[in-house]
Amino acid sequence: MDNQNILISLFCIAATFFSLVMLFSKQALTCALGLLGVLICTAGIYGLIGEHFIAAVQLVVYAGAIMVLFIFSIMLLNLKHEVYSSNVKKPLFIGAIIAGGLLFGFLSTVIVDYFGQSLGGMQQGIFTREYIFNLGGNSKVLAHALFTQYYMSFEVISLALLVGLIGAVTLAKRKFE
Amino acid sequence: MDKIQLLSAFLFTIGLLIVITRRNTIVLLMGVELLLNAANLSMVGFSHHMSQIDGQMQVFFVITIAAAESAIGLSILVNLYRNFGSIKTDVAQGLRG
Repeated sequence: MDNQNILISLFCIAATFFSLVMLFSKQALTCALGLLGVLICTAGIYGLIGEHFIAAVQLVVYAGAIMVLFIFSIMLLNLKHEVYSSNVKKPLFIGAIIAGGLLFGFLSTVIVDYFGQSLGGMQQGIFTREYIFNLGGNSKVLAHALFTQYYMSFEVISLALLVGLIGAVTLAKRKFE
Repeated sequence: MDKIQLLSAFLFTIGLLIVITRRNTIVLLMGVELLLNAANLSMVGFSHHMSQIDGQMQVFFVITIAAAESAIGLSILVNLYRNFGSIKTDVAQGLRG
């Protein structure tokens, strides 16, 4: 348990670093690699708290498919001649940073308050770690829920993916006047 | 769990800042992905904290929608580059054409 906490802290620090890289990088490719780092760290956190299925999906879909799409389109457009020039004015950037700091301050205050108070009135579910282990593991429990309780959502989401695929192909092939 | 929620809030803030301040459309889409990822992290953290699995299912659907969204967004971006010769947000101020 202690090792797990240390590893989660390490992943949190790494994700923070990578997200700052994303914010301050000048090139799109550096930004993409920062996003890749954040996604892999997030997948590590999911795996460490025991959500193995979500960790695998995160690695395959996010860090695999979506990142390949991003890096492929950076390569396809070949924006070397368009060097990133910061046409955001300096005062605006500083103002945005201050606003972001305020937002993070509010959010973290709420979070620390929430975890500081006792959770007496909260409704705990039945899926504790031991219960999931007895049922045969995280993936089995999630698969059972996916194909019984969330069956309709699963079908609709597959339709949405198909529509997205067709839309992407049509948009990319189309020639405007 | 405390750390996870704090990290989620931080990633959300950074994603919002990227969407607000950057002018490159690819980087803008990456900011949107970061926002979705922060929301996912928060949902999985709370769902694990409360010993439930509904949050994980929701995250599964959100990841699927994010994949579709980024495919559509990047094909729109290719069109933008074909029409205007640039992917800065400044060039696409009108909705004509």
